Amino acid sequence: MRIVVCVKEVLDPDAVNNYALAGRLEIGEDGKSLTQTTIPRLMNGFDEQALEAALRLRDAGVECRIGAVSVGPDTATILKHAAALGADEIAALPMDDPTPDYHVAAALLAAYIRSSGDADLVLCGRQASDDDQGVVPALICEALGMPLVTNARAIELAPAADEPTLRITRVTPDGDEVVEVSCPAVVTVSNELGEPRYPTAAKKIAARRMKPEIITPEGLSLPAETLRPRVVAQRQFVPTVAGDCEFVPGESPAELAEALVARLRQDSLIQ
Amino acid sequence: MDAKPIVVCTWNESQGGLTVGAEEALTLGRGVAGATGAKLRLLVLGPLPEAAMETAGRFGADAVDWIEDAALEAFSPDAYVEALAGYCQQESPALVLFNQAADTRLVAPRLAGRVGAGVVMNGVDVSVGEGGGLQATASAYGGDTQMVYELSGAPSYVVALSANALLPEPAEGGPTEPECRVISSDLSGVQERVRVIEQARAEGPRLEDADIIVSGGRGLGGPENYKLIEQLAEALGGLAGASRPIVDEGWVDSSQQVGLTGKITRPALYLAAGISGASQHMAGCSAAKTIVAINSDPDAAIFRYARYGLVGDCLEILPELIRAARQ
Ligand SMILES: Cc1cc2nc3c(=O)[nH]c(=O)nc-3n(C[C@H](O)[C@H](O)[C@H](O)COP(=O)(O)OP(=O)(O)OC[C@H]3O[C@@H](n4cnc5c(N)ncnc54)[C@H](O)[C@@H]3O)c2cc1C
Repeated sequence: MRIVVCVKEVLDPDAVNNYALAGRLEIGEDGKSLTQTTIPRLMNGFDEQALEAALRLRDAGVECRIGAVSVGPDTATILKHAAALGADEIAALPMDDPTPDYHVAAALLAAYIRSSGDADLVLCGRQASDDDQGVVPALICEALGMPLVTNARAIELAPAADEPTLRITRVTPDGDEVVEVSCPAVVTVSNELGEPRYPTAAKKIAARRMKPEIITPEGLSLPAETLRPRVVAQRQFVPTVAGDCEFVPGESPAELAEALVARLRQDSLIQ
Repeated sequence: MDAKPIVVCTWNESQGGLTVGAEEALTLGRGVAGATGAKLRLLVLGPLPEAAMETAGRFGADAVDWIEDAALEAFSPDAYVEALAGYCQQESPALVLFNQAADTRLVAPRLAGRVGAGVVMNGVDVSVGEGGGLQATASAYGGDTQMVYELSGAPSYVVALSANALLPEPAEGGPTEPECRVISSDLSGVQERVRVIEQARAEGPRLEDADIIVSGGRGLGGPENYKLIEQLAEALGGLAGASRPIVDEGWVDSSQQVGLTGKITRPALYLAAGISGASQHMAGCSAAKTIVAINSDPDAAIFRYARYGLVGDCLEILPELIRAARQ
């Protein structure tokens, strides 16, 4: 089977958090991108886990070709990382805008998947840690007419099915749910899948020599209509948090605890 | 010609009420409808909750549109998307608003893809921009930043609102009397492609409904200390939650994760021990009325959100709190 994993480059969310916590997150002159050039760029964590899900299918004996594809201004680094982890083919869909419209990104990804020989399984992270939107997988599934299963924590091939069928354990607010879906399908992966593997040194070196196949929108002969943005980022800002914390006084843990409980009872928050 | 309607979409939850967040979405929708001279409608999929007409009226809706079909009785993504797509084709709404939850995260962007609409998730606001078009504000980086998106270029838009986007406000000047319009749809051809083999079984009460939540994070030091969180939760009559790292480490089950990619809660009291207050965690609890933080670092971000702060070692403070709460 052919598995295509969609991966996105993002700013390291932990570094962004640290800047935010220190009150040092700044927006650049364009009014919409973060200025901190020291923040490392890396593969979106959930996407790395989506790739891990594909590799685990292969480890489990599923015969598959794994492709990784990315839309963005400069995707070579994460695509090589995907190759080092075990992707057999890597493809780049260049797009200049640093905050591209995700409808356009999804249209490009869907067209790439169709034109490159279709996929039995399209894997994506549940959302990107920069815009948190999580809509690209759904837009791809609709463009390709495939079913969508979200928030997988485990993916396996269902035993003894007539046609290739996936058995997926998905994380829901009510606990784990097990579903089955026939291929082709789009599946998103959640962090509950667990730690992704690290590439070995040898694979890293081999991946360095791999060049992503570069595919332009013209090459996909997409109608202009599909490439028209629908949701255009105008500006980004750092919201203020209005803090009014009262630090509860107390010399010892017991005093602190009693002072807090007294306040919570006073406010009728607890009995 | 009338402006294209603003539609708030909801469906019945198992409790028989409207989906949590429908009132917030109606509040926002009423503002947009007012600013654009459009009608505000509440769209209900599946069984009509008892409260639907009354709530719609209280929040100033002009109509309740009801799609009744056996296929919509329980949540079923393919049927829901099909019904919504049919509705959008027939009624051409300018904007369909959802309250964001796990189910809407699945349905809203698929609807957009199906009908060629634009979609924005994690919305905190929708307003009329300077040029007269709609714009949506949504949180990004878990809430570290917010993004303002211009909504132009698509015939209609789908926006899902975050749980803590705004507070519900009934319509000024008293309730309206919405008409109830039964919308026909033909879902006979829809067959759910994703087959449920084993249903999720929520065990006991849900964090989303809890009035009091006590959560623990990495500051607990080790899995053996999580019992302090459970004991305090029990002593306060609440439920125990967690930050993501200790879920990822396997100390607690993922159903207890609070945050952007976990449970979105709205308790009266949220007590966080050994949690730093990263935006992605706060996305799941900042709608709490009162937040209490216990952290050994007086500069921890969580104190910016907290009403009460305790600076100290949570392993020492929690046992004392359990004792004090039991008295
Ligand atoms: C896309 C994305 C989605 C995410 N989704 C979520 C989510 O849904 N939920 C979530 O929680 N996180 C989520 N995260 C992770 C989030 O960014 C933070 O990393 C996480 O919330 C930190 O958890 P923590 O506060 O327990 O740990 P830490 O950040 O390590 O904080 C531990 C805190 O404990 C304090 N401490 C240490 N020892 C003690 C002690 N003895 N007594 C008292 N205090 C002590 C420290 O001062 C520190 O403040 C997400 C991240 C990304 C990128």
